[in-house]
Parts: sequence; structure tokens; C-alpha cells
Amino acid sequence: MPNQSETPTPLLAFDHVGKDYTNAGERTRALDDVSLEISSRRFVAVMGRSGCGKSTLLHLAGALDFPTTGHVRLDGIATNQLREAGLTKLRREKIGFVFQSFQLLHTLSAIENVEVPLLLAGEANARSKAMERLADVGLDGLAHRMVHQLSGGQMQRVAIARALVHTPRLILADEPTGNLDTATGNAILELLQRVCSDHQVTILMATHSEEASVVADTIVRMRDGRIVEERS
Amino acid sequence: MGRIALLYRLILRPLFRQPGRALVILFAVALGDAAVVAIDLAGDAAAGSFHSSMETLAGKDDFEVTAAGGLPEAIVGQIARLPYALGVSPRIEDHAMVVANGETVPLIGVDVVAEANNAGTIIKDATAAQGIEHINDPDAVWVTSGLGKAIGDRIQLLINDHAREYVVRGLIPDSAQMGTDAILMDIGAAQLATGKSGRVDRILIKAPDSGNFETWQSKLQQALPKGVLNAQGAETAANRRMLAAFRWNLRMLSGIALLVGAFLIYNAVSVSVVRRRADIGTMRALGAGRGAVMGAFLLEAALFGTVGSLAALPLGRMLAAGAVGMLSTTVNALYVSSRPGAMTISAGSVVLALVAGIGVAVGSALAPAREASRVPPTEAMARGRREFEVRVERKRDAAIALVLAVLGTLAALGPPIGGKPLLGYLSALLFVASTALLAPLVVYRATSAGSIWLRRLLGVEALLASRSLGGSLRRTAVLVAALATAIAMMTSVGIMVGSFRQTVLTWLDSELPADLYLAPSGAMGGDLHPTIAPEVADRIAATPGVESVSRLRAYEIQYQGLPASLAGASQGRQAPRQSLTFLSRRPSADILRELAAGDNAVVSEPFAYKHHVRAGETITLPLGEQRVTFKVIDIFYDYGHEAGYIVLNWDTLRRYLPNSAPTNLAVYLTPGADSKRTRAEIQKAIANQSLMMLSNGEIRQQAIRVFDQTFAITYAVEAISILVAIGGVAGALISIVMDRRREFGVLRYLGGTSVQIRKLILFEAGLIGILANILGVVLGYVLSLVLVYVINKQSFGWTIQFHWPVAVLLGSLSLVYVATVLAGLFPARLAVRLDPMEVVHEE
Repeated sequence: MPNQSETPTPLLAFDHVGKDYTNAGERTRALDDVSLEISSRRFVAVMGRSGCGKSTLLHLAGALDFPTTGHVRLDGIATNQLREAGLTKLRREKIGFVFQSFQLLHTLSAIENVEVPLLLAGEANARSKAMERLADVGLDGLAHRMVHQLSGGQMQRVAIARALVHTPRLILADEPTGNLDTATGNAILELLQRVCSDHQVTILMATHSEEASVVADTIVRMRDGRIVEERS
Repeated sequence: MGRIALLYRLILRPLFRQPGRALVILFAVALGDAAVVAIDLAGDAAAGSFHSSMETLAGKDDFEVTAAGGLPEAIVGQIARLPYALGVSPRIEDHAMVVANGETVPLIGVDVVAEANNAGTIIKDATAAQGIEHINDPDAVWVTSGLGKAIGDRIQLLINDHAREYVVRGLIPDSAQMGTDAILMDIGAAQLATGKSGRVDRILIKAPDSGNFETWQSKLQQALPKGVLNAQGAETAANRRMLAAFRWNLRMLSGIALLVGAFLIYNAVSVSVVRRRADIGTMRALGAGRGAVMGAFLLEAALFGTVGSLAALPLGRMLAAGAVGMLSTTVNALYVSSRPGAMTISAGSVVLALVAGIGVAVGSALAPAREASRVPPTEAMARGRREFEVRVERKRDAAIALVLAVLGTLAALGPPIGGKPLLGYLSALLFVASTALLAPLVVYRATSAGSIWLRRLLGVEALLASRSLGGSLRRTAVLVAALATAIAMMTSVGIMVGSFRQTVLTWLDSELPADLYLAPSGAMGGDLHPTIAPEVADRIAATPGVESVSRLRAYEIQYQGLPASLAGASQGRQAPRQSLTFLSRRPSADILRELAAGDNAVVSEPFAYKHHVRAGETITLPLGEQRVTFKVIDIFYDYGHEAGYIVLNWDTLRRYLPNSAPTNLAVYLTPGADSKRTRAEIQKAIANQSLMMLSNGEIRQQAIRVFDQTFAITYAVEAISILVAIGGVAGALISIVMDRRREFGVLRYLGGTSVQIRKLILFEAGLIGILANILGVVLGYVLSLVLVYVINKQSFGWTIQFHWPVAVLLGSLSLVYVATVLAGLFPARLAVRLDPMEVVHEE
């Protein structure tokens, strides 16, 4: 387990972040004065009931959305200071995403799905890099299967390989075990834990799963848009 | 009530939520249906009015006596002397050009005194009150009020090759409802003006009220030369029969636009069924029966059909206004002289629009609606079902496509039915259906095989676009089939017209051996044959530099209930240069020599085809008061007159019809003569005549200009089909963007830029365009074979040499391709504007 003191600057920092949404003229506070620092190579699980703000926290971390108040800094850069091109570059280089419903492209094979981020970034040797990542998640034997020929657990492994393929510094996982049975879910959590250590990547995972507390370095509990507990 | 609620919740509410989708479908139905309405309205207006002046002026007679070249005046007396109380109206029928505006109008010569006593005729209305005292004046004319003349005004008329001033002595009132302008003269003056002294063109007979039609017909037939008596209106009926094939083909052509619309409706309803499977499942779980679900989707289609058809009526009326001019050109050039009549949206037009629009909409929705009715209630639980999970039976469809193609080939080999190429149309339809069923396999194979190659060549966007097309075959294959059908129509008509044009050009080269051609500069039209004073040919022949002059005299006749042209041609001294091309491939000089040797005739290919005449057989023609039998010694290629030509030797024709005035002259210059100077000399020699003199090059140009004008309408209808298809592509791409918004959102998560998303959509549009172009050109080639060798041949009898108009096709295909890609611009913009967070998490 890496030591937090090795990296003095946090990879991801939430500084008094507030986030409001307006729907039909009615304002809803999704995050309320959230401050959180996550160092490199940590596996952080954000837990709480539906609607407590977990997903919003991940969106802000992934620079897909911006805080109403406060700042989100990724690798020292405030995300709301970046323009569209800068945000795309940030996502291409530093962030990987894993979703509850896998979000694979069904018209592509497993290996082609993993390749996509590299191809979008115009990187060379996409195929070999993608194959390495598939091997990392134990699916190199199914590389050419179409997505609909895979099981749910296999799909999520492909999604994890895809999130890793461009060697990001941060993986944002939104309920990665939500669509899986317990055994498969546990296997995915173990895989994420292994990925975190083997690839020296930080994982911020939103989850309902209590099993996550076993694999995560830090557990952050949220309620009504606020952090109510942060436990390492 | 429950069903209405089902219809509202399942069908109407989603439509209101996606007005763009509804509008695109309505656009497809309305424009396709409008093309059908427009062609119908314009066809009626262009072809429906040509008979009106002659027929209205004829009053309500029972019989008419006509013969090629007219009848001796003596027959009028012969009929009048019959011991029956017959109403007898001899007439001269010709055309005159109003010099002031170049308008050609019917010129009718009647026995004014006799007509004035014949109650109820237009002649009586027109002349009884005004100017009857001037009937013996050779300058007196009565004109329709549309010509803008008042009594006492002078009017310059060009009749045959002679222009002269006449005085308006009376006005034909609007109440005459003749449908077109006309000029009336007393029959004596008309005979003089038209050079038909001693003859009449038509004798109208009104039988007494006692006795039935057949009895009087029998009595009159006994008293008259054989073959000259017809029921009144026979000529109009004959013209209508002849025009029927032309109008049928145009109707079929306009139907293609509707067919393209049908594909798009099928696509829209099909996609809507796939999208709403969970909703349908829920409804089924809650107790909705299969019939109710199917009915709901069919009602949706009927709704589109009804609203689209209603929109098609005013739209069709607008399009018809543009089309009628083009159609009139064709009708005038190839058939009969006419002026467009009024266009009115009748009850018939409304019924046509509704039947075509609703019929096509409901018909194309049948299959997807049936599929909807088979959705099991368990689908309510099948969340996240995606389109790719709906199986498309590619191989089964391809096998059916093969069967349809074989049936299409067999249908193409069939004979015409009732003179119409019905099996030809069926063949074309079967080939279109075959292509539509083959489209899923083609799209799947092409996108599977091509995606890796596309990725290497054009990047990840091309890979994603290609896979996406292959992954949503249900939608993309129909889209490709719709666009391919429109492209196939463009290609096939392009090849047919290009082949026809090339054939006509080659034919013109061989048909125009003389250096100069002369014809009266007045009335123009496929059925009009104004004459040139007989002495003009001799004057021209005597001009220095002229080697010889050939004469041609043409008459409009009826043969077996259809119009045709009868002509007599003199050979001149240049027979070897006259190189008609005969089907037998015998040298034309030999055939022309044989033609002069007795009662022999050569006929044009369309005539032979229409009347099933072969070389060696005989035809019998009513010439004046005689019936003469001619031996057909050969058949020649001709593309100038669809009704067909019977050509006799000049002297043979004159033996039966002694009028020596030619209708056309062909002038051969002495080899080495200065053509400019000779032309100027000829111009001097004909200074007193209104003749048009054209070189063979000018005639060639003029003929090709008329040809191009003739086919302008086909391009206009094609453009509508293409527009419908491209509109459909844009609509379907919007729909694709909406359905795949999650995918675009994920791509943004994965680092895709907005430029890349835009490229992806444009690549999809481009791929649809390429696949549709390939399928369309192949189908178009097959359809062009059906058009050239089956539909054209069976409709018109022309032999067309196959020719690829490469430049025209490449230009049109490129234009369609660019338009298809551009159709992706707006959907691409929509895709770029999607909020990735929203679309990824909305599941």
C-alpha cells in the first residue's frame, strides 16, 4: 500500500465545493461545502444513499461538470479554468471512467472498445497497448468477441481495461458493481484494487456496496450532499 | 375509449414530444404524394385540353365523316340529298398563327348560314347577332374573346406559308367555354385561305331523334365511301389513347417519389416499434390485445398519410404549375398541338392524393405494426434492449431478394397487357423490392469488411461510423434502400434518356442528308402539317447553287383508331444521299426505288409496333373517298413522331390525294456551291412566303433542344424523389443521433472531441451515401434495361441503342452524394450539443 506522505500535493482536491442544479426553476443543492483531498495511488470509495451526491462528486472530479462554489483541482489545475480543448486533453491523458452499466460500444469487439481512447487521442500502437490491458484484466483470450457475447463481469473487465489503456492517473468508477451479482462484483472490486497498486493509479469509486470498504484505502461517507465521514 | 387512450399514450404523445421526427415523415409523405398529384394535374391540363376547341365547336353531333387529305366537297351534297332529316355540317379544320404574338390557334371553317340555323351550336351564339352580313367577305373572321380583339379590329394571321390581314366581324363569347382560343371563318373563305378548295376536312352529321344510333350508322355507312364514317369524338378518343402510354409512364415515374416516401415511413414506424418495445410490453402486460397494438401503429401511419396527403394537395398544385409547361412541350412536339388547360383540384385529385398517401403510409407500416403486435408482455421487463438485439434476417432476406430478381427478370420478358407495359412496371417494382431486401446483407458485409480498412484510412471515426451502420441494420438498411431507389431511378432514367438522346443524334445524322430544310414558319406541333405553295419548290430548284429539291407532304390520319402521319416523299436526284435506316438493313436507295414502283409503303418503327405490322404485309388507308391497300415493303427507324409514319412515294400519294402543296422541302446544294450565298438567293426566292429555312445543323440543334425540353419533366420528378430521400436521410440521422446519444456521451467521456463526433456523423452519412450509390447504380442499370428494352419499347415502339451517359451520371451521383453528406450536418450539430453526463446517466 503506497504511503500518502510520498506525494505532498494531492492528485485531486475539492476545496469548499458547492454544486447547485436548477430544475424547472427550482434549485437543488447536490453538494454542500465539500472539501476532500485524494493523493496519488489511493483507492477511495465514496458511499451513501442514492441522491447523496456521489455521482456529482465524480462528475466534478472528471471535469465533466463544474462547481457552483469552490474549486476542484486535478493535478494542481482548477478544472473550471480550462477551456473545452484543455478539458478534453485532461480526460484523454489523466482520467479513466468505469460505469455501472459498462457503457461499452456494442458494435465493437472487446479489443476495439479498449482501443477507442487511444484512437481518439491519435496514439500509435493502440492495438498492442489495448491487448496488454486486456491481458491485465484476464480477457486477452476473448479480445475479438463482440460485446454482446460477453457476460456482465467480462463486460466490466473490458470497461476497466478501457479505463486503464491510456495510463490515466485517476480512475472514476461510478457503481462499478451495481449491475453484477455479488461474486462477480467482488471479483471486480479485487481487480480494481489490483489495478490501483499495479498501475499506480488513483481510484475514486462511488458505490452502495459495503464490500467496497474491504478493498478501499479510504471510505468517504456522504449524506445530503455533505461528507459525513472520512475514514482510512 | 381504452383504445383511444392506448393510441394517445403509445403513438401520439411520443410524436408530440418529437415534432422533428413527425415533420420529417410528413415531409416524405407530402412531397412524394405531391409529385403524384402534380403529374396528374399537369397531365390533365397539358393533354386534356387539346381537343376542346374542335370538339366544343362541333356541338352535339352523332357522326363525323373524315378521311386522310379531306373529302371532296361533293360528298356534303351527297349526304344532304339522302332521304333523311340529317343535320349536316361540313368543316375545314386547320391552324393559324396570330402574327402579333406567335400564338397558334385552331382555325375552323364552317357553313355559317347553315350553322346559324342549327340551334344550340357555338357558331350560332357567335355569329347570329354579329357580323353575319360579312360571311361572303374572304377577310371576315370571328374570334374568341381571349384573343383580345374587338369587332372591326384587324388581325394578321399566318395560315400555311402565307400571312394576311383579316377583319374581326364577330366575337365568340366566353359562354362558349371552348377551353382555348380559336378563329372561325366561313367555309368558303377557309378553303381559300388553307388551299383546300373543293374539299372539306370533316363533315359532322346529326341524326334525327327517331331510330337508334346503330340504325343510323348502318344507313349512313351504306351511303358513304367505306371507312370514312366514325362516331363523333373518335379523333379525340384516338388522341387520348395515344397519349395514354405517355401519361401512364409519367404516372409511374411520379409513383417512384411516393415509393421512396414509403421506405421512409417503413423505416420510421419500424424504428418507433423498436424504440417502444418496452412500452408495448407494458401495455400488453396491462391487458392491451395484439389487435389493439397493431391498430395503434397502423393508425399512426394513417395519420401521417392523411395529414401528408392534405398537405400534398396545395403542394402538388404548386408543382403542377411548373410541370404543365414542360408537359405541354412534350405533348406538342411528339403528339398533338395543344395549349394547357386550366388546372383545378377536383374531387378526383383529392381522392387520388388521399388514396395514394394513406395507402402507401398504411401499406408500408403493415410489417412493423405486425411486429409490434407480437411483442410479448415480458418485454416490459427487458430494460435497456437495444436495436442491435432485434434480429434482421439478412440471409433469409437475401434469398427472397434472389427469388424476386428472378421473378423480375421473367416479368420483363412478358408481353404488354392491353397495350401497356404492365409486366415491365411489375418487373421494375420486383427489382426495387429485391434490392431493398438485399440491402441488409450488403450493408452488413460492406461495413464488416470495410471497417478495418476505413479505420486505417480515415481514423477511428470511420471505424465507429461503419460499425454503427452495420450494428443498426434495421434502420440503416432501409435508409440505404430508400436512397438507392431514388438514385436507381435517377440512374435508370438518366441512362434511358442518355441512350435515347444518343440514338436520336445518330438518327438525325443519317436523317438529314440535305443541306437546307424549309417549312411554313407558322403552326408548330407534331400533328400539324401546314403547307407550302406548290410553285415555291420550283422557284428554289431554279436558284443558282441548288442541285435539287425534295418535297414531302404529310397528312394527319387515323389508322385502326389511333392517329398517325401519312407522308409522300419525292426522291429528287439525290436518292443516294437519302439514307433512311431500315430495320432490314437493306440499302435505302433500293427500298426507295421499290417504293416508287406501285402501291407500296414504308412505315416507321413506332407505327409498325403499335399496329403489329410487318414487312410484306398490307395496310388499307382511307384516302379521300377511296380505300387503298398498300404493301409495306420495309420498316424504318424514326424518333420524330410517336404516333408513327406511313411514307409513300410522292407520285403515289398524289395519285390519291392530288393536292400538290408540300409541307416540307429538302434542298440539296450543288457540290462546291457557296452555301451562304445560295441561302441568301433562296431567301430572295421565297420572300413572299412565311417559310422557315434551317440548315441540317440547325434542325439537329432544334430537335435536340425539343428533346431535352421533353425530358425536363422526368428530371423534375427525379429531383423530387432525391429530395424526399435526402430529407429522409437527414431525418433518420437525427433519429440515429437521438437513439445513440449514450454512445456519443461515452465517446466524450473517453476523450472524444466535438470535431470527432461531428466527423463520425458525417462519415455515417457519407457511408450511407456510398452504399446507396453503389446499390442505386446497380439497380439503376437493371431498371434502365427494363426501361429501354421493355417499358419504352412496349409503350412507344422505339428501338433505343444502349448508351452510358457517363458524365451526366457522374455529375448527378456526385451531387446526390454531397447532398447526402450535407444532410448529416444538422444531426452532427445535435450530437455535438448533447450533454455527455445527462445522456450517459439517463439510463
